[in-house]
Amino acid sequence: MLPMQLGPGQFGDNTLYLLLFYLPFLLFLFYGQRIQAFMILGEVSRALGKLKIMRERSRKEVIDYLVNHLKPKSDPQEQVDQLLEYFTIMPVDLDPSGIVKKIEHVVTVRNDRIRSEIRRLAPETDLVKVSTAENILEAASSINYIYKLVRHFYLLGKRTSNIYILVQLQMIMPMILQEADALVNALEAFKLSQPIGDGIGPMVVGRMMLNHEKLDISKDTVMVKTEYKDRSLYLIKAVGPGGNVGEPGNAVERLINEMGVKINSVIMIDAALKLEGEKTGEVAEGVGAAIGGIGVDRFKIEEVATKMNIPLYAVVIKQSLIDAISVMRKEIAEAADKVTKIVYRLIEEKTQPHDNVLIVGVGNTLGVAQ
Amino acid sequence: MATMIPSIGEKRGKQIVYTIEECMSCGEKKKRAFTLGDYVYKKGGQCNKCSGSILITMIYAEPMKATQ
Repeated sequence: MLPMQLGPGQFGDNTLYLLLFYLPFLLFLFYGQRIQAFMILGEVSRALGKLKIMRERSRKEVIDYLVNHLKPKSDPQEQVDQLLEYFTIMPVDLDPSGIVKKIEHVVTVRNDRIRSEIRRLAPETDLVKVSTAENILEAASSINYIYKLVRHFYLLGKRTSNIYILVQLQMIMPMILQEADALVNALEAFKLSQPIGDGIGPMVVGRMMLNHEKLDISKDTVMVKTEYKDRSLYLIKAVGPGGNVGEPGNAVERLINEMGVKINSVIMIDAALKLEGEKTGEVAEGVGAAIGGIGVDRFKIEEVATKMNIPLYAVVIKQSLIDAISVMRKEIAEAADKVTKIVYRLIEEKTQPHDNVLIVGVGNTLGVAQ
Repeated sequence: MATMIPSIGEKRGKQIVYTIEECMSCGEKKKRAFTLGDYVYKKGGQCNKCSGSILITMIYAEPMKATQ
């Protein structure tokens, strides 16, 4: 019976009931935003706690890998903490002319520095272990950065009581958590040197390279020359089975500009991030330079292809972000045969006998040899 | 917009990683659990059927449920 009596007309002169009825409205009218901010703060705080756990776990994984596999002479904890906080200042883009060269320089210095720091810990370790340590460190560093960035906005929103900062953070938090989770999953694959989804491009080209003599064409990158139906095939991939992406841009540039090989067609094979609803392992064909990353390699390949009027064909294998950096899924691995058939079909359809065809397998070649 | 927000993907459950070995002569395939030191295109022993050379051709993860 009570709920039926709660309308304002039922109260008569009872001011207490009247107050109880209107109080929540007044409360939400004046303090609604604060209550909302309080709830959002709680939600973001819980997410931040999860990110903190992931950060600690990834840091521990780096230290464990270094201690167990690289066997450093001193305790690596301090050095790991330094490397996790390592930053790169990108070149100024006020005058964008020539910026790609500058980005390449800065990124090369960064990679060399990190590699040398790891080598300093264990000078006698083989290159595969060093590249694996680099990959683990990179993933841990990304998780550390995500945590710090989320914490920054959380504290900023809390201190200034700025609900708009907090709402934005709350909205993107599920995606941030998924991305951080993907990076944590990647650590497992890196640690055991298992092929990751991104390695499908090098896996296809690696098979074509088997039993042929390999030539070092650029840093961490190999090339093989072979024949197929009267065409000369130039195959390029990063050196495996360590976790390298190589320098395909430099390799293509060197082959065409320095070695003077007249390439008639370029076929690039890479993993591509799928859209929601697309199937994992789906293979798609297109044109253009199929290569991700910071953009230096893509720029170089596009530059030389445009200058020499070389058509660029792309074959991509669709996968989500988690699939790309986690252990290769069966659907992706099984797409390799289909991709190989497409590549040979493209060679037959788009090139003539005696043509030179360049095939580049793009991606992290962790756990994939050649 | 689409390229800026790609699919992050579903959270993966427990997975088992398998190594697929293939005989280069008779094409016989063998599936076994991944062991540390395995990598794709690693040469490994001889085929029981034809004594041809065996090569690891695939390493992939499958959800644990599918195998039980």
